[in-house]
Amino acid sequence: MPHNSPELAAALRTFAEESGELLEAMASHLRALLEGDEDMERLHALFRAAHTIKGAGGMFGLEAVVGFTHLVENLLSRLRDGHQPLTPALLELLMDCRDQMEDLLKEALDDGGAAADPALAARSDSLGARLQAALGSDGGTVANAEATTPAQPPTVVLAPVADEDVELERVEADTWHLSLRFSPGVLREGMDPISFLRYLESVGRIVHITTLVDNLPEAEVMDPLNCYFGFEIELESERDKDAIEAVFDFVRDDCQLRLLPPHSRIADYIALIQDLPEGQDRLGEMLVAANALTRQELELGLTHQRQLAGQAQVPLGEILIAEGMTHPPVVEAALDRQAQAKGRPGKDKGNESQFVRVHAEKLDELINLVGELVIAGAASHLLARGRRDRRAQEAALTVNRLVEQVRDVTLKLRMVEIGETFNRFHRVVRELGRDLGKDIALDITGAETELDKSMVEKLGDPLMHLVRNAIDHGLEPPEQRLAAGKPERGRVRLNAYHDSGGIVIEIGDDGRGLDRERILARARERGLIAEDETPADPELYALIFEPGFSTAQTVTSVSGRGVGMDVVKKTIAALRGTVEIDTVLGAGTTIRLRLPLTLAIIEGFLVRVENVPFVLPLESVRECIALSATSATDRRQYVNLRGEVLPYLRLRDLFALGGTPPRRENIVVVRHQGNRVGVVVDQLQGELQTVIKPLGRLFRGMRGLSGSSILGSGEVALILDVATLAEIATSRDHNRGGTAAQLQQGAQACSTQ
Amino acid sequence: MAKTILIVDDSASIRQVVKIALTGAGYEVVEAVDGMDALKKLDGRKINLVISDVNMPNLDGIGFVKQLKQKSGYQFTPVIMLTTESEADKMRQGKEAGAKAWVVKPFQPAQMLAAVSKLIQP
Repeated sequence: MPHNSPELAAALRTFAEESGELLEAMASHLRALLEGDEDMERLHALFRAAHTIKGAGGMFGLEAVVGFTHLVENLLSRLRDGHQPLTPALLELLMDCRDQMEDLLKEALDDGGAAADPALAARSDSLGARLQAALGSDGGTVANAEATTPAQPPTVVLAPVADEDVELERVEADTWHLSLRFSPGVLREGMDPISFLRYLESVGRIVHITTLVDNLPEAEVMDPLNCYFGFEIELESERDKDAIEAVFDFVRDDCQLRLLPPHSRIADYIALIQDLPEGQDRLGEMLVAANALTRQELELGLTHQRQLAGQAQVPLGEILIAEGMTHPPVVEAALDRQAQAKGRPGKDKGNESQFVRVHAEKLDELINLVGELVIAGAASHLLARGRRDRRAQEAALTVNRLVEQVRDVTLKLRMVEIGETFNRFHRVVRELGRDLGKDIALDITGAETELDKSMVEKLGDPLMHLVRNAIDHGLEPPEQRLAAGKPERGRVRLNAYHDSGGIVIEIGDDGRGLDRERILARARERGLIAEDETPADPELYALIFEPGFSTAQTVTSVSGRGVGMDVVKKTIAALRGTVEIDTVLGAGTTIRLRLPLTLAIIEGFLVRVENVPFVLPLESVRECIALSATSATDRRQYVNLRGEVLPYLRLRDLFALGGTPPRRENIVVVRHQGNRVGVVVDQLQGELQTVIKPLGRLFRGMRGLSGSSILGSGEVALILDVATLAEIATSRDHNRGGTAAQLQQGAQACSTQ
Repeated sequence: MAKTILIVDDSASIRQVVKIALTGAGYEVVEAVDGMDALKKLDGRKINLVISDVNMPNLDGIGFVKQLKQKSGYQFTPVIMLTTESEADKMRQGKEAGAKAWVVKPFQPAQMLAAVSKLIQP
């Protein structure tokens, strides 16, 4: 589609975001309905969402989206108005339709210019036919006639003109009803009623007209100059109420006109009323603003109200309904809206303005700057300390405290709830379950847990794989479940919570669990474990993350897709996270991802070797002990830590830093996935909070490093990768990460970045 | 036989535009420059519709319509008044005089035709 102007492109982006949010909202309402929460408001909200997507989509000429959404909207409108009961089958259909809307929007908004996917269009057609059938199951013959011709998606508000014989069916439902009574004197005013009726054809099609002659008196008393006729007219028109009323503006004083919109309009009016801006709280004004009532009708209604005021206080709404000017549901919607506006002063109004849309790039820039500020603050703090000037020190402390607060708030700006990511899996679970013939429920807990947006984006793929894995390999087919005495319906669980400064995400299933023996056999087969070795559970289970490690006996269409388990592990490791597995054979598996809250800042522990600073992630540090020359068996490189063997490695050796170790060295005990290893350093310098900078290209291939950071003093500190260190220490594989020369170059590369 | 419309306006250009539009739609058009001229132009001929400006020299639109409605043969002739938005008062007076239809100036020829066709068809 063309978006030649930047304004239109920007508006289109807004539409993309808006429609995304609306689709999310639709999904959550549909789920709630599916789970039995039959709140009418949900149907209203669903309708509004579809309505908005259709309306805005039309503005951008997204015809495939509009045509399809129109059908969805029709069904929702009928459901909402209670013309049709909401059945689980319809909910399923609506779910599929929502997904289809999502796909259609994706295709329409993807400006790669790719040709329309015929499969997608075909799906639109088949879903459209199902929608039509659903509409028709209660609505007579009209829908059936159309269901057989799904190739013609309607793109306008009113359904396309159909064959003559179905037309009559349509009459009642979808036409304006005009009730017209001319005053006897109209002819004397030079007004010819027939002329107006002819002109009426210019705003629509008169489907049916009934001439009322009840008032025609006996011939002897009849005055040929008087008009005695009344007309009941069914008009098919796409014009609004004002336009139709305007036809009669010259005879408004000489006739009584009641103009009742088609039923299909009621939904539009209600939607319009609900979308009215705040500040209008008068019923009549609201109805006029929504085009449900013309100003003339309002004035007439108010006049009647005043006339009646002597006898009783009649609400305007009742008068308007009694006068046949509008439908009861429309008045109700307006009254609801009125109550809303009165009941929640300010709150609702504020809601809109409580959020500010900010481009993610701007936030990133801010976070980056705050990072620099943290470093600069640390530098000034260091300087003040060296000065022995109390006042300078206090000032520096205050600045530091504020900087810390600014940093925390800034990082929070980018925090988003994980719920949205989780919710996406409803669709995956449903579709995959259907493909594999498994009945699956998805339980989500901890949806409100927040984590960094950049993290959320990177978690999508690994989560997808883990969920697919749980469904495909974890959950047994229904017959096996029943045989094992489990409920037929399998459960997949997504859970998130905060734990000691990080976030934990669990992906669980109540399936068959990991088969220890099979994994062991496969590991031996592949030479990952020696024949005589029997590793502990965590180590053994960790093997499923090895590249190409699969115990699956059958390969399904599902396992071929997405990333492999080894990629999951790599991705999580790149996010400075860890993966743990809990499994009980026959009862299920839970995979636990432990991740830092943000990628931007690390709580670190600063150490030095040969005066080169290194940072260990604080969450992995367990304790620090002195390495006395006697307790160490340097050749074997382990110490006795309270009766347990603690393997250690020397950073001096690992990074070939040279020099002579000081008399007293220290061991920092770090823990990684249940393994404890020691890292031998010269000096311990304590905790620090520091901003992570990516490593320069020179460091890419180096083992044991995960990033760099700039200290307050301006020095570049290298952040150690505990996972690799643990691996090196336990495997005794001192395959050196790099040479001192490389390290120097790298450090320079970092500092010049 | 084509229907005849009497257009009364002191502005030649307005008469011109209206005439073009109406003749194009198949009506006969008779022109008059003010109320007095219009009364003269009636001359007993069949007029199906009158379009009259309000503010005119000699005899203004309101006065003209009042007299028109007194004349035999023209009591029931529909009248379209040309008004402006600010002339609500004139419009009321016009209605009282018997001009029930109106077109607000400035107007497009199409608007004029729409107003005319509500009242008569060619």
